Amino acid sequence: MSFDEAAFNDAYTAHAGRLRAVAFDVLHNREAAEDAVHSALMRVWSSSSYRAERGALLPFLIACVRREALDTLRGANRRQLREVKAVADDPVSIDETAAIDPIEARRVRLALESLPESQRDVINRAYFGHRTLLEVSRETDVPLGTVKSRLAAGLRRLHTVLSPGAAPS
Amino acid sequence: MTQHLDDDAELYALGYTERERSDEIEAHLATCVACCRRVAAAEEAAASLSAALPPMPAAKPRAASWQRNWWPSLATAAAVVLGTTTALEGFIAHGASERVARTDTALTALAAAHFGHTTLTAQPGLVAKAIYSRDGSWCYVVASGAPRGAHVVFRTATGTEDLGALDDGTPATLFAQQPGRAEEVDIVTAGTVIAHGKPVY
Repeated sequence: MSFDEAAFNDAYTAHAGRLRAVAFDVLHNREAAEDAVHSALMRVWSSSSYRAERGALLPFLIACVRREALDTLRGANRRQLREVKAVADDPVSIDETAAIDPIEARRVRLALESLPESQRDVINRAYFGHRTLLEVSRETDVPLGTVKSRLAAGLRRLHTVLSPGAAPS
Repeated sequence: MTQHLDDDAELYALGYTERERSDEIEAHLATCVACCRRVAAAEEAAASLSAALPPMPAAKPRAASWQRNWWPSLATAAAVVLGTTTALEGFIAHGASERVARTDTALTALAAAHFGHTTLTAQPGLVAKAIYSRDGSWCYVVASGAPRGAHVVFRTATGTEDLGALDDGTPATLFAQQPGRAEEVDIVTAGTVIAHGKPVY
């Protein structure tokens, strides 16, 4: 069997855009984002940490990349990133027309709208508004523990709403 | 750690746990199927959120970066290694309409591969990495900025082996089969070591 390099590269390309977008959203720096994607995937591959129980591969990889990017932001290189650090955005909303996947973005927006306000607000501020959970706590005058609980509950509910077969709201 | 994850499952999926805590969680996930499934569900929801993000902006025109070129090279290396597996055969045989399925197949094959990597300490202007199978059956060296004709040298407890010259590609690469396990890997030109690293098996 001959190796089809083009097909293999195509496979990487299919996911690379999404992974880079995730890293760039956190770091707002192209090189740092590419490094984060690279480091995350090397960490996955060198540890063989993926297995079937972890679900589909793409969500797993996206989570790995986001963790890597946030670790970078929290870590020793933060000073180097200061000028390009992701800053907290003002009113948070999903711009479907600019989204990497407009159809899925619309589904996500509708799903978020079905969440209780307290959960939706935490997700919006933290995920789309680029705030740390501590910043969310201060902004909303809600204890950090409660912010974490609301975020976790919101994500669980979001998964339920977005799951195939979920009743439309 | 034996306790289940509770809210940390979702916080971990979103990247809001510190590295130390993440390491604990990953150790727990290696043994707890219930928490694996909970994290998987959370990661699925988090992945949906990521679909609403804008793409990373295009780079300003400039010379091809190390990162952009490195990836397809790794894909090549991994595919050479994995090229005879049934999974990859299936992946290659499929048509464009099955792009998503074949993508996952290929990346899953990569994710399951056992190889390590090390960045070589190099002279200014040279960036080099060695990617190697843990059983010593292959090694792939990728170098950006290496002088033409530079060689890759493996050093072991019993001696030194010249694996050959890097090719003239951009980046330059060398794939070696059955090189064994090196204690050190160097890139050498005109008798001078210009990059050096220590693989960890």
